[in-house]
Amino acid sequence: MASITVGDPLSEIVQHYLSYIIIFNFTLVAVVLVVLGIVATHRKLEDVPDPIQNVAEFALEWFVRRAKAIHPDGVTVIAPFLASLFLFILFSNLLAAVSFPLIRIPPTSYYGGTLTLALIAVFGTTFISVKFVGALGAIKHLFWPNPLQLVTKISDILSLSLRLFGNIGGEFLVVLLVVKAAPYGIPLVIHTLGLIPAFIQPLVFTLLTSNFLAEAVHTDKKKAEVDTQTSPPFSAVAEGKGAHGS
Amino acid sequence: MKEIFLVLVPTLTIVPTAIAAAFAMRKISYTAIEGMTRQPEAAPQLFTAMIVAMALVEALVIYCLVIALMVAAKI
Repeated sequence: MASITVGDPLSEIVQHYLSYIIIFNFTLVAVVLVVLGIVATHRKLEDVPDPIQNVAEFALEWFVRRAKAIHPDGVTVIAPFLASLFLFILFSNLLAAVSFPLIRIPPTSYYGGTLTLALIAVFGTTFISVKFVGALGAIKHLFWPNPLQLVTKISDILSLSLRLFGNIGGEFLVVLLVVKAAPYGIPLVIHTLGLIPAFIQPLVFTLLTSNFLAEAVHTDKKKAEVDTQTSPPFSAVAEGKGAHGS
Repeated sequence: MKEIFLVLVPTLTIVPTAIAAAFAMRKISYTAIEGMTRQPEAAPQLFTAMIVAMALVEALVIYCLVIALMVAAKI
């Protein structure tokens, strides 16, 4: 992927120290997230939340709801897994908006970074499923009912990593090319448009990971319970609409 | 001659894929938005399903983008 750094004034340096830059930026994101976590938890929590607490509670509730839909007992394991993946990818993408040399390179715009995240997501899914269905159940899930499930795991890794890389790396490449052609004004517009995939892609990554996780921890008895708990609103809405005759 | 092909191949890889994906995404978003306006109560579920479906369509374009980049990097 040498063409990703076309037009970058630092392209030689970036190419040479690419792995160090990716590791440094990932570490920076991790440190920022740890600091934010400490700040968010070591403050006085109010009954009437102020804006910061409101945002944090909204995010937490969203992940807890996803985790409950996957497995009713798995909130303490699944919600932190999904939330940390989401926040880590989101903050990595947002590094593109920081105007500081080398730090402004989002680690998710290189295939090494996204492949790492996809490996963590897929292997983490298998390890979490061990907690719910046991080691034998997790191994059985790889071969039963279809022996090709093992191949599916590999294609999951490829699709997760390539999707994230293509979106963020492609946008980064577009910004670099536009900066080369028109240095003033127009790159700002492209950067602003780039914020959309920066927010959508972590969401997609987390949703797909939670879908894989739901398949992996799926047992017939548990699935029936979850269905009765979560799905009535949809059918109830449809029936209610029919009853009003609209 | 070789340079012409090296320019043409990535372009012809990515452009038809993008057109096809645009039609698929039009269908997905059209149906999802129609469902949301008919049943606003089901909007969050439909939005989630729409995002996932769009991501699956988009993945195919991304594969072609990666192939195009690999060919273009050989210039």
